[in-house]
Amino acid sequence: MSQESKELAAKAQKFSAKRLGDMVMNNMLIIIMVVAAVGIAIYKPGFVSPSSLVNILSLTAAYLPAALGIAGCIVLTGTDLSAGRCVGLTACVSASLLQSVEASNKMWPGIGTLPVPVVILVAMGIGALVGAFNGFFVGKFKLHPFIVTLGTQLILYTLLLLYVQMGNNGGNTIGNLAESYTSFVRDPLFSIPAANGASIPVPRYVLYSIILAVLMWFIWNKTTFGKNMFALGSNEEAARVSGVNVLLTTILVFALAGAMYGWTGFIEGARVAANNANTGLNYELDAIAACVIGGVSFVGGIGKISGIVIGVIMLRLIFVGLTFTGVDTNYQYLIKGGIILFACALDMRKYLVKK
Amino acid sequence: MKKGLALVLALVMALSLVACGSGNNGGGNNNGGNGGNGGNNGGDGGSAGGDGMNISVLYYNYSDAFISNVRNEMDAKWAEMGITANNQDGQTNAGTQLDQVNTAIANGAQALVVNAVEASADETTQAIVDAAKNANIPVIFFNREVSDDVVNSYELAAFVGTDPAEAGHMQGELIGNYLVENYDAVDLNGDGVISYVMFKGQENNPEAEMRTQYSVEDANAILTENGHPELSYYDSSAATQYLVDPNGSWSSAAAQDYMTTVLSAYSEANGNMVELVIANNDDMGLGAITALQTAGYNNGEGSTVIPVFTVDGLQGIVDAINAGNATGAVGQSATGLAEAVATLLQNYQETGDLMSNTEGMIVDEACAKIRVPYTTVS
Repeated sequence: MSQESKELAAKAQKFSAKRLGDMVMNNMLIIIMVVAAVGIAIYKPGFVSPSSLVNILSLTAAYLPAALGIAGCIVLTGTDLSAGRCVGLTACVSASLLQSVEASNKMWPGIGTLPVPVVILVAMGIGALVGAFNGFFVGKFKLHPFIVTLGTQLILYTLLLLYVQMGNNGGNTIGNLAESYTSFVRDPLFSIPAANGASIPVPRYVLYSIILAVLMWFIWNKTTFGKNMFALGSNEEAARVSGVNVLLTTILVFALAGAMYGWTGFIEGARVAANNANTGLNYELDAIAACVIGGVSFVGGIGKISGIVIGVIMLRLIFVGLTFTGVDTNYQYLIKGGIILFACALDMRKYLVKK
Repeated sequence: MKKGLALVLALVMALSLVACGSGNNGGGNNNGGNGGNGGNNGGDGGSAGGDGMNISVLYYNYSDAFISNVRNEMDAKWAEMGITANNQDGQTNAGTQLDQVNTAIANGAQALVVNAVEASADETTQAIVDAAKNANIPVIFFNREVSDDVVNSYELAAFVGTDPAEAGHMQGELIGNYLVENYDAVDLNGDGVISYVMFKGQENNPEAEMRTQYSVEDANAILTENGHPELSYYDSSAATQYLVDPNGSWSSAAAQDYMTTVLSAYSEANGNMVELVIANNDDMGLGAITALQTAGYNNGEGSTVIPVFTVDGLQGIVDAINAGNATGAVGQSATGLAEAVATLLQNYQETGDLMSNTEGMIVDEACAKIRVPYTTVS
């Protein structure tokens, strides 16, 4: 081999090693996730049993819609702190409107049990309204969403506290839900027969979350609104100059997020089936963490639906993994915090390399 | 168009506030009371009559279902007694509560009724007592127990509530007795040992700690007395023998998520099913029941019921017990608590001494503490 070609070969090898390193770094989270999963599975084989995988799937489905909503706000370089309280309010409203007729402490005895689709519209409507309110203040007065949604979060908490005191409820936990509601959310979509003769039900809300994820993917990637959202998140001035209606887009992004919280509230209302003023507390933090882990950047204009799904799975894997291994709960926060930091650092690293 | 949208949004928000507000205040008739409530954002206490006292009631957290019950009971009492009450939400923050105490005193409160956020730290509760002492007004703690030293440091201080250890002991007794009677039915896999899961509301909270510890200890004592082995935690290799709400909010959602996760690996088919659920409060018990129901258990008659035991005994769990989906609860009496506090205030109004008439109440010997007994529901 000539000297020249040797040099070329060395260069090529170096190049590919660097590329390999980049690839490893860019997918580091997934690699860690897989390694951790394999480790837990060796320690506790039950972790990868069909019933456990279905459980991780269901938990992911339960927490996905809120993350899908909040991601839009993050793409606009913002955030949304009102998500948790919004979930709490809509969960309590949904549950109170769908209590069974025989419930001993039925909150609104006069209304019977409303049809489920009506309540879905009410919950998502309330959420969208709250979101539009947020978006209006962000878009119109150029306030940072952190401030606006901090305010809304507090306002919503008052509404929530007042709401659970209304009717016959008196601040109690709202339960005793109608059959139509719980079966709509929790009934098995289909059951997987397990090796030992039992069957593993996959709840219906898993299907709804998949539909929502597809719908959001379509909105983000195939509609003018989605393109406007990313344009606005990348560079507001450029977006404005090229004719994007900044105020309207902002309001719509937040309203869409709000509708997702409303949906989450509706699902949580029946999934947990015990709702009070505590419901939804800190949901926004998990949702934001999932987005960040999934590569939705706080820099703005960057994010993928698939990333969000991975982020939510990741957080649920941590939860399930720690429960399975029986790790001291004191360390759960450390692990969660470490992963969020690590994910953000990786994310910024990509951004710095581009510069 | 933009302005129109702004107007509509503002209107909607304002309307919803008004709607909720009016729904809540429906019962109260405001006669003005004896003024002085100036800059404070008043609570929702019913203010009636003009001759009564003007007091401040400080709750540790408005979103707690049991405390909400107490608040409703107390508000009714104040209205009955012609007392003007200014309710405050401590938001589980001891610092916020201390600020509220000082503001209330500056605002001319004639008595303090305090549900301490941080009842286990004497420094915090002592600061509240000292503030009341300087203002020469009585202070009544309720629900969360403060230490004897703090209560004894001021003649116009008292405590009304339950003994935090007692709930754990009573839950343990309830569980132990139930298991002795139904041992073979509960022991689903017939291995002679009952495996359990424990849901703890919060780390470092005296009530949660004691309920978690004593419920199992006392149940074990009864079991061994009757010749049965002790309870065994479902996962013998776990570092801690409980699952705690990561947000420390005693929430049903946390218990639900944990329970579905546990049930995904522990089932009757695998021969290692969890056979007993113990929860620190009603909400966590209800969350666990929902998870059990999704897995095909605890669906009333005809289904296998995993016994669930809770503390609080509010309507939700009573309904579940009546439907056969929960087994037992230790109940706190919101009415009893409110009545005892009201009696002490009445004593003070009439004689200037909180403890002048405590007929029919359980009072500690060396301290101005009134015990409202727990009840059991099963």
